[in-house]
Amino acid sequence: MVDFTLEPKAVLDGFDKIWNSTRLRELTELAAVAVSVPKDGAVALNQKLKAAYGRNVPAAGESFIGKGNTRVMSFAKDQFMILFDHAAHSGIPIVEKKLGNTGYYVEQTNNWVFLELSGPQARAALERVCPVNTHVDKFTVNRAERTNIEHMGTVLCRTGDDTFLIMSASSTAGSFLHALETSMDYVSQ
Amino acid sequence: MIINHPLLGPRDSSEFYHLGDATLIDRPNREDVNAAEAFYEYLYVRDNPAGKYCELWYHEQGDRSWLVVTRDTTTHEISEVKLASDEARARGRSV
Repeated sequence: MVDFTLEPKAVLDGFDKIWNSTRLRELTELAAVAVSVPKDGAVALNQKLKAAYGRNVPAAGESFIGKGNTRVMSFAKDQFMILFDHAAHSGIPIVEKKLGNTGYYVEQTNNWVFLELSGPQARAALERVCPVNTHVDKFTVNRAERTNIEHMGTVLCRTGDDTFLIMSASSTAGSFLHALETSMDYVSQ
Repeated sequence: MIINHPLLGPRDSSEFYHLGDATLIDRPNREDVNAAEAFYEYLYVRDNPAGKYCELWYHEQGDRSWLVVTRDTTTHEISEVKLASDEARARGRSV
């Protein structure tokens, strides 16, 4: 019998690169759980969500940071995602403890690659590859959108003045990183 | 082309998938006596106007909603955007 052990590895091996003062890095220890609001279940779910994280379900396109540095993002009516620091592969047990059976949960942790783009060239790099208007007055802090970067499905969330959380499918993470890296190379020349 | 999504605001058309004529909402009842003729018209017969046209667009790279977009086919001007679910309810096709 072959003697080996499996070790967890980040999707992009913990990518981290700085162009002048703009940084692109992989966030490696985030868990993600998608939540759907059951029909006629919004009141019960909102009560639990408010108790656990401090606010009701955000409107589509909005997000907030709740207790425990948890980000709750909504991209569509009656659907949202919960992101939180957690090294394990499954986030559902954590969410179930807080929200009980008031929502429908789908594990998303290993489905996505999480990147953070931060710095003065972040918007310029996004403008080249993403159709969302990231102007400071339009894409305000905590705004969260599903969109595309080049041909790849993306979640884009503004988490700070010049900081963006960027998510895409882990299966195409290499191509996704290439698109962002190439854009950063161009705008930093 | 920018589509002003009813929930999400202005979004680039590259996020959407275009299906076609919004009359597809009005699927005939297969048990009607004239179902064959109704389905022939439903599937194949289009007005194809040069001007205002109601179309179905799917926000595939966004919130996965279906929209009814009223677009002028001669200018691409979009005059109205509604959620297809609201439109279907208004036509008595959904609860």
